[in-house]
Amino acid sequence: MFEPFVDVNPSFFGWLNQGPLTLTIFLHTLVVLPMIFIYYQEKKRLENEK
Amino acid sequence: MAQKSVWSDNRFWRRSATWVTGVASVLLIWLTFDTMGQISMGTDADLKNGVTKRVPAPTVINYKVDYVFDSRRGHEVPKIGPEKEKFFGKFWSEEEAAALLHKGKLASQAKNCMDCHTLLGNGAYFAPDLTKAWLDPAWQDGGTMQAMTGKNSKEEAMVAFLMNPDQYPTHERMMPNLGITHDEAVALVAFLKHMASIDTNGFPRNFGRMQGAVHGK
Repeated sequence: MFEPFVDVNPSFFGWLNQGPLTLTIFLHTLVVLPMIFIYYQEKKRLENEK
Repeated sequence: MAQKSVWSDNRFWRRSATWVTGVASVLLIWLTFDTMGQISMGTDADLKNGVTKRVPAPTVINYKVDYVFDSRRGHEVPKIGPEKEKFFGKFWSEEEAAALLHKGKLASQAKNCMDCHTLLGNGAYFAPDLTKAWLDPAWQDGGTMQAMTGKNSKEEAMVAFLMNPDQYPTHERMMPNLGITHDEAVALVAFLKHMASIDTNGFPRNFGRMQGAVHGK
């Protein structure tokens, strides 16, 4: 899943592109986890409003 | 009253959309600046000191360019120098090389090479991919193109071909005569040699292992 960095110039995006799942995991961490957090926050807010 | 679902709540979608758009914007702006660093041209000093840049300086035309398999990276990478080689019988200064390369780029656009060929992934596949054309063994010493054009160097053979491509039976779909002048042809060959020296992460894939290409068997 994580492969050694072999690109010619070191770069964060180069690192993201080294393995098949690295980009996916990164984007899910950045996009989906906060959405889950927002979901529970909004759920709590709706429950409190009731 | 039934409990309101989060899924039908406007605020949840608005906050999610704001978050995703924000993250994507930051990533794309960051990627743009990162790419600018990656594709910026190296300098003559980089070439002399053996610094690896993805896009080398125009004076790369003064060096021998080879294509060797890098087992760590899993594909071929351009090997520049350290041996120097004369280009059209001379070594070019930084200014001369930059001017020649610029002329070559303009000529490639004026003659619309990409209408048929592919350059660095852009263009068509009607005619052969030119990204690594400089490394094509057909043009090397002892290759068919030098014999066909009656020239004894790779660059002279390429110039002879480019000026009268319709005279040489190279391909089923023969290249038409585009009225390329001698100066334009010299500049185009410099453009092709520089392009072959660009580290394209192994693109076009398997070029070095193709039948008859570079070190392929």
